[in-house]
Amino acid sequence: MPIESNKFIKPLNRRQLLKLGLAGVGVAGATLAVQQLRQASGNAAVQIPPIPEGTPTYGNGINPMKVCREFDYGTLKQENGRTIREFQITAQNTILQLNQAISYVTWNYNGRVPGPTLRAREGDRIRVVFLNKGGHAHTMHFHGIHPSEVDGIKPVRNDTAFIYEFDAVPYGLHLYHCHIAPVTRHISKGLHGMFIIDPKEGRPPADEIVLVMQGYDVNEKNENELYAFNGLPDYYMQHPIPIYQNQLVRLYVLNLIEFDPVATFHLHANFFKLFPTGMTLAPTMETDVVTMGTAERHILEFAYPFPGKYMFHPHQDAIAEAGCMGVFDVIPRSNA
Amino acid sequence: MFTLRSILRPLLMAVAMTCLVIGLNNCTQAPSSSNAPSASPAATSAMTSATGDRKININTSILSELDKLEAQLGIPALSNQIQASRPYGSIDDLVSKGVLKQDQFDQIKDQVTVEDIVLTGEAKDVDYLTKLGLMKGHMLIADQLLKLNLPDQAEPHLGHPVEEIYVDIQEQLPERKVPEFSASLTAVQDLVKSKPNDPKVATEFSSAMSGIDKAIAVLPATQMQSPEFVLQAMTEMLDTAAAEYIASISGGKITAAIEYQDSMGFVNYVKDTMFKSIEAKLTQQDAPLAKDLRSKLDNLAKAWTQPVPPTAPVVSADEVANQVKAIEQAVASLKKTAA
Repeated sequence: MPIESNKFIKPLNRRQLLKLGLAGVGVAGATLAVQQLRQASGNAAVQIPPIPEGTPTYGNGINPMKVCREFDYGTLKQENGRTIREFQITAQNTILQLNQAISYVTWNYNGRVPGPTLRAREGDRIRVVFLNKGGHAHTMHFHGIHPSEVDGIKPVRNDTAFIYEFDAVPYGLHLYHCHIAPVTRHISKGLHGMFIIDPKEGRPPADEIVLVMQGYDVNEKNENELYAFNGLPDYYMQHPIPIYQNQLVRLYVLNLIEFDPVATFHLHANFFKLFPTGMTLAPTMETDVVTMGTAERHILEFAYPFPGKYMFHPHQDAIAEAGCMGVFDVIPRSNA
Repeated sequence: MFTLRSILRPLLMAVAMTCLVIGLNNCTQAPSSSNAPSASPAATSAMTSATGDRKININTSILSELDKLEAQLGIPALSNQIQASRPYGSIDDLVSKGVLKQDQFDQIKDQVTVEDIVLTGEAKDVDYLTKLGLMKGHMLIADQLLKLNLPDQAEPHLGHPVEEIYVDIQEQLPERKVPEFSASLTAVQDLVKSKPNDPKVATEFSSAMSGIDKAIAVLPATQMQSPEFVLQAMTEMLDTAAAEYIASISGGKITAAIEYQDSMGFVNYVKDTMFKSIEAKLTQQDAPLAKDLRSKLDNLAKAWTQPVPPTAPVVSADEVANQVKAIEQAVASLKKTAA
């Protein structure tokens, strides 16, 4: 899977150049230099702490520590003069150890909960080759604008494939999920993922982090007993997400908790700028709690001025305390 | 580990990684920028090859169709390999995924497609029978649970035919002159949900069953009496049953009763109805195979002791998967001798 931070960032502004010690170089030269720098060392303007290694996966196809910063840009193909961004997705079943007591069969995309964070740029042609190996009929229903034939309502029977092809519009933070009824069961068992469409002009460089909120109806009683960020309950409590002090962080937050109508997202000891549904380039408000109904999602931006550990969680505290809780470990910026 | 063909996943992953490298190198190119949503391959109509034959969809075709490619290229088990390496984003993936060598691909590239062509002929009928067979399996297990006075457990199985299958055959019903029957399916589900003791449950249930039966009855007798034809739908159903059985077990226990029950309904319908309908004919054709399949199916069905699952599985998930695989291989041997 392609693993990359945002490649569609726009050229750095003067302040960012100053930070890089490039002040005084001509603007054109500086831009070129930065681009070269970026090619040489990834995104030089953004500092991301090393990802802790060896943290457990508990049966998930991916470690949540990787989920939070991994983006799947697909494979680029040229066909009839058009660029096509192709993704390959297989619906399958995987057993997760949700906690010491509960071993749970998830239904998911590509062996992981949540599914891969698919990412494209506004206007790209998207082709998703979907194979169902899950037993039940499944689909991929994308949020966005597309023709009805690719709306992901028509069941794809076990062991058969379907190709969803459409243009990536509009830019914003979207999602995909299975649309077979009962949708509550298909989503909460794990058939969901994020779908990011970047604006043509890109967004400023930032440490970008994905957080998908999810509930688990373990005993099939149409209510959740456990909740999680990125698939595994309490994971980021046991394994905090490291970020740097004063580093701009861009959170992509999606609420896919079924059965509970709403959940908020609350950040400790800070305020964040809100870009509703990721469909604006400028923030519309600043707050420390945002309310999201199921399938609602937003982009949040912030930086921490002080080092230390800071929690994040829905302020429906029962939901938080049943697994939807995590910690940012803000570490002092190195002198790079 | 959890699918029959999971051994092929590492291969798929390796191919995906190769694609990734190419993908990343190309990522800096300017993407195309048309915002006008245009029709997907799903919307395109059936395509034919240069020879006028219908193209074979490598993503969706059943094994008997893929056998045409296998026969033409003379590659043993090619059909199974094509199926196991799905999905394909384009026909060139046959080469990039290592299924075919370039020169082999060049011989058949005009005959294959990934576009969502409309199924026709036998493949369409096998698909149709498979879907209706799955419906029957759901109804069978629902009926057993209703008779055990467990309407709560029966309800999801009454929902599955409508939710997962019906819309997928709906468009074929007029051309096959089958009356719509979703109303009775929905009615019986609604009744069981809200008024499980209503005497109308039984009448609506019979009405839904007869709707499915009528839909099956339009298939030509020549097909329904043909072991080759019915066995294809049977293996599709058993494959689904195995996947669901595997998905019912975690931590050494049966934790998802719905999937256990689904798979039980599918296997029993295959064993008690579908196979029975062709058993005599198959015995005439190939007595040892008929006997072998009968014993394999009886043995497979032992994994499901009763509609309410036991705490721990009687037969392991791997064992059920292996048994289904063995049945598929036995069925494949018939096709080879018949061809």
